[in-house]
Amino acid sequence: MYILVLLVPLLSAIISGLFGRRIGTKGAGVLTSSCIVISAIVSYYIFYETILNSSVTYIKLWRWFDSELLTTYFGLQFDSLTSTMLIVITSVSALVHIYSIGYMSGDPHIPRFMSYLSLFTFLMIVLVTSDNYIQLFIGWEGVGLCSYLLINFWLTRIKANKAAIKAMLINRVGDIGLVLAMIKILDEFGALEFSTINSILSVSGENKESVTIICLLLFLGAVGKSAQLGLHTWLPDAMEGPTPVSALIHAATMVTAGVFLIIRSGPLFEGSPLALIIVTILGALTAFFAATTGVVQNDLKKVIAYSTCSQLGYMVMICGLSNYSVSLFHLVNHAFFKALLFLSAGSVIHAVSDEQDMRKMGGLIKSIPLTYTMILIGSLSLMGFPYLAGFYSKDLILELAYDKYYIIFAYWLGVFSALLTAFYSIRLIYLTFIMDSNSRKEDLLKVHESSWSIIIPLLLLAFGSIFVGYLGKEIMLSNVVSPIISNLVKVVPLLLSLLGALLAFIVYNNIIITEYKLNISVKIIWFIRNLYHIIYTFFNSAWQFNYIINHFFINNIWKFGHLITYRVIDRGILEIIGPKGISKVLIKLTRVISNFQSGMVFNYALIMIVFTALFLSGVSML
Amino acid sequence: MYYEYLTIGIILFILGVLGIVLNRSNLIIMLMSIELMLLAISVLFLINSVAINNLIGQIFTIMILTIAAAESAIGLAILVAYYRVRGTIAVRSLNLLRG
Repeated sequence: MYILVLLVPLLSAIISGLFGRRIGTKGAGVLTSSCIVISAIVSYYIFYETILNSSVTYIKLWRWFDSELLTTYFGLQFDSLTSTMLIVITSVSALVHIYSIGYMSGDPHIPRFMSYLSLFTFLMIVLVTSDNYIQLFIGWEGVGLCSYLLINFWLTRIKANKAAIKAMLINRVGDIGLVLAMIKILDEFGALEFSTINSILSVSGENKESVTIICLLLFLGAVGKSAQLGLHTWLPDAMEGPTPVSALIHAATMVTAGVFLIIRSGPLFEGSPLALIIVTILGALTAFFAATTGVVQNDLKKVIAYSTCSQLGYMVMICGLSNYSVSLFHLVNHAFFKALLFLSAGSVIHAVSDEQDMRKMGGLIKSIPLTYTMILIGSLSLMGFPYLAGFYSKDLILELAYDKYYIIFAYWLGVFSALLTAFYSIRLIYLTFIMDSNSRKEDLLKVHESSWSIIIPLLLLAFGSIFVGYLGKEIMLSNVVSPIISNLVKVVPLLLSLLGALLAFIVYNNIIITEYKLNISVKIIWFIRNLYHIIYTFFNSAWQFNYIINHFFINNIWKFGHLITYRVIDRGILEIIGPKGISKVLIKLTRVISNFQSGMVFNYALIMIVFTALFLSGVSML
Repeated sequence: MYYEYLTIGIILFILGVLGIVLNRSNLIIMLMSIELMLLAISVLFLINSVAINNLIGQIFTIMILTIAAAESAIGLAILVAYYRVRGTIAVRSLNLLRG
């Protein structure tokens, strides 16, 4: 039963991938969806057994690495963290599979798409169920690979290729951190199983500095995977893939792997205050950065992508404040409402003939009211509107951040991001659904609600994003002590969210009118518009991160690679002391030597006599 | 007293060597130089055999004379054949084989 949750997605991936042509597009869709649904049912059963009946299960499958220093098993570990993650992964994945049947219809490569999705689900399950770091690393790399394949699904587009390579390479930077952390752990603890490491940590006080190094390296891995500040640039670009992929991989599951890694390594992080503070600060900065950037994006999917980045920042931030279960709780809620948002966005894009730019939409509320409702539910949940899923986790995160007065900085960034989150959510809704339409007439006339296989996942996810927070809080937050702070502070995030939402309405209702009405002075308006233009450009280009990284890192490394390693070392030093130089010297030498054989008899005679004389004198010397 | 004879022998030998090395024009001079060297060696053998009272030197000399005769015969034969082919006997033109 427990192994079934792994095997069924693998089986569906293999069948759909290898025999996709036999079973056809419809067969592949139905087969993979039903397989993932089975896996989801199994994971609910696992959830029931391990959490509600509180019986943690360990399964050792077989020996893998077996040397004197290191013995690693293929082992599965089902504790509360794993089974919670399993619920998220399999549920969202099953819904996305069903959604893809409708969304991808007409595409000639549906079996391949379904196979990739199932393979991704399998590898993600491997990631969360493993009981040691090495097996976790299989899943970690595997989901990166699947992300590459899926972003690059429409492989004839150059932008998709570029985005996929970017995602792969930036993730690889983080993976190096994880590998180094594993080596350091092996060096320090002599084992890679979580249980062994935790027991060693609880028994003996380990070397503080090496624990800090391990934590920072692990965090580097998480930064890459969870798109935290610095290595976040791949996430918005990854929106080149199909929308279900963005929903499954870049919102609900894969990007949470970094947070999962931090939660899993929680006992290690507890041993290093420095690492915790760095985690908090980077998480808070990510939340703030992504929120400011999300405000001015015009691409429907990129707004949601930056919001994902921002929410991941919240999760990482609260991990840094040692509240891992709250982080997990937010992860679960976020998975539901962000998948809902993405899938609804996909539905919108589907309705308006694959147009992603929000400036060319508008007025869709009349033609696709159901999708509008879904996005509204998702957005309200994201904003932390009371009684929806996001409220339970987001407010708690902010309260707990406020409680830690030594790093109050994180709280203010978080609160301000909450305001911006509300702003861009409402802006998205306003531009897409409420404002007068900017789209072409023939497109607008064709707008229609999508098919049942798109609607049903949306409805289920909407239920999820309404009720998961309420249902999950007793289960997941039973060990969290709510901080004692005044009621005013508790209401602040909500008030700021409402303020942000209100601001969005005001700004987008009146932006055109004010420009004409405020006829104060041409110069002042010119100045304000200029300033606005600069700020807008700065935020719209995501704080110029791409530019900075390309200009200062990538460019120099390219140049270094071309000038130093290629021209100087490969074509220069190595060739001179290597093949070309040696052959040149030898040829010259042999030419000189063969010149002695001039064909002239008297020269031969001279040489013979000289050397005979030398030989004789040498012999006589002996 | 033998010392001066030895010096003469050696000088003769060196003259022969120089005759081979420095001669660039005529193959006959080369053959003659070879004869000269062989004779110088023979003289040295003879002087030594007298000096150390040993017959082997003189036996050797007779052998060398024999060989020198054979050698000059063959050498002249080659020279004649060479002249027939090339029409010249300059050593300088004897350079068809070179490295």
